[in-house]
Amino acid sequence: MGEDKMKPLERLSAYGKGETIDRLPCVPIVGNTAARVIGVKVGQFRGNGPLIAQAQIAAYQLFGYDIIRIFTDLYTQAEAMGAKVHYPEDETAYLEAPAINDLAHLDRLQPADPYRDGNLPHHLEAIGIAVDRLGTEVAVTGAITCPFTNASFLVGAETLARLMLKEPDKVHRLCEVSLETCLRYAAAIIDAGATPSLTDAMSSSTVISPRQFREFSLPYLKRLMDFIHGKGKGATLHICGKTAKIWESMVEAGADCLSIDNDASLTEAKLAVGERVRLMGNIHPSAVMLQGTPADVRRATLSCIREAHDNPKGLIVASGCSLPTETPFQNIAAMMETVRAVGWPVRF
Amino acid sequence: MSADKETLFKQLADAVVDMDEDQAVTTADAVVAAGLDAYEAIEKGLSAGMERAGQLFDEEEYFIPELLMCSDAMYAGMDVLKPHIRQDAVAEKRRVVIGVIQGDTHDIGKNLVKIMLETSGFEVTDLGRDIPPARFVDAAKEIKADIIALSTLMTTTMDGMGEVVRQLNDQGLRDKFKVIVGGGPISQGFADRIGADGYAINAADAVRLARRLTSPDVAAA
Repeated sequence: MGEDKMKPLERLSAYGKGETIDRLPCVPIVGNTAARVIGVKVGQFRGNGPLIAQAQIAAYQLFGYDIIRIFTDLYTQAEAMGAKVHYPEDETAYLEAPAINDLAHLDRLQPADPYRDGNLPHHLEAIGIAVDRLGTEVAVTGAITCPFTNASFLVGAETLARLMLKEPDKVHRLCEVSLETCLRYAAAIIDAGATPSLTDAMSSSTVISPRQFREFSLPYLKRLMDFIHGKGKGATLHICGKTAKIWESMVEAGADCLSIDNDASLTEAKLAVGERVRLMGNIHPSAVMLQGTPADVRRATLSCIREAHDNPKGLIVASGCSLPTETPFQNIAAMMETVRAVGWPVRF
Repeated sequence: MSADKETLFKQLADAVVDMDEDQAVTTADAVVAAGLDAYEAIEKGLSAGMERAGQLFDEEEYFIPELLMCSDAMYAGMDVLKPHIRQDAVAEKRRVVIGVIQGDTHDIGKNLVKIMLETSGFEVTDLGRDIPPARFVDAAKEIKADIIALSTLMTTTMDGMGEVVRQLNDQGLRDKFKVIVGGGPISQGFADRIGADGYAINAADAVRLARRLTSPDVAAA
């Protein structure tokens, strides 16, 4: 595997200032694939911060990408607020039941204490270990599920969808308590020396309308982002699926970098908002990274770079979303190798 | 159609498009009181409304919340009309077995496809979520399905879809059922690779696909 001349933090900092770099930043978004790197089962991550850290550190060291993200699934905050999460032995956890089944119990929902509830303390421990070990060479982030998406796990996605049209005030109450959990977790992540990394799957225009996004998601996102900025940190906002009609709002929310997937176009995003935000994306996580060959990965990576290497605020070459657990190592390596070979300034 | 009948059917359709459950029930009651044909009212009223809702979804005027609410209104009207359907009015319906493959519990997408298929005149047996491949095969045999529809939102469970096709092959049943797949990580390429009969990108597309696969010339091919 190729050697990089710069460390990730050095590279990102120089890139941000327009100084010389060895290659574009590159982030194949490794989630539970990290378990495969150290040969453990995904289910073993539950309640085990040191193991999560060990796996994510080993994956970073194996592939040499630019951000270590502590993430296992989208449900950690909802679980800490009472949702029931199912942990298969060796697959990514999923939501079994929302925190409340009856809206009459809305008032029982309490913001989570990240130092006490659910698996949040273990994730914070993992973040702390990664920062201690590698914080001087690579950015460590903690994944936060954004207020609206987390709210959907508190009452169930379909219930939340109907509430938006029937009882909007209840959606706002849900998002408010959801936001409070996000704020507390963001504060804890920052105190641990890392940066929050925001994910908001349900805000996608594949699910809700741009108008609904602006009414029910944006205000809370903005408050979360303002809080993070107030602590001197920037944040990446990832929304999957269709997003073109909400890019403006994502920028308005204060995102410093938009992470988009393959249902959105890097070229269009560059033209629409590239003067104001960095872009991150958008190699297909399943069709290319999971099922493709290294040659497919190489082609897709080159096409990404061609599309957006000249984005005014920069590009992080990335997968469109978290990689499936069984993504072949050789495909992740092929993505990194392609970015290294293209170098900077880019040569095709 | 008499003006009265036409008006009532249009009101039914509008109630669905306007997501108005109460109006759907009131109008359905009026249809029954007027002694109109319940089956026709479902087809030309409720289903027509749902079809328009589907178009609005395609055009990105409606999104998942609106589609869910439209379907609530449709089912509310349906509950009133169903007991009044004359048996001889009912055409033989194409049957679909649908479910989310084992390991995955995300069922919004599956539910939407089910709603749209039912609206379009298919008889749908919903197995639910987290369903092992063998259950799809067993259920399809049991209800003599025309189509097996498989959904997943997760990449980790995609292999289960291929497993359904394998089991059909092993049991010599592959030509008895059309297998269609859909969901976030699924692509036409994946559908081809596992030997499915089709891939649908969204709920409206699933209806077009199901209709095409069960049209007489395709079904006979």
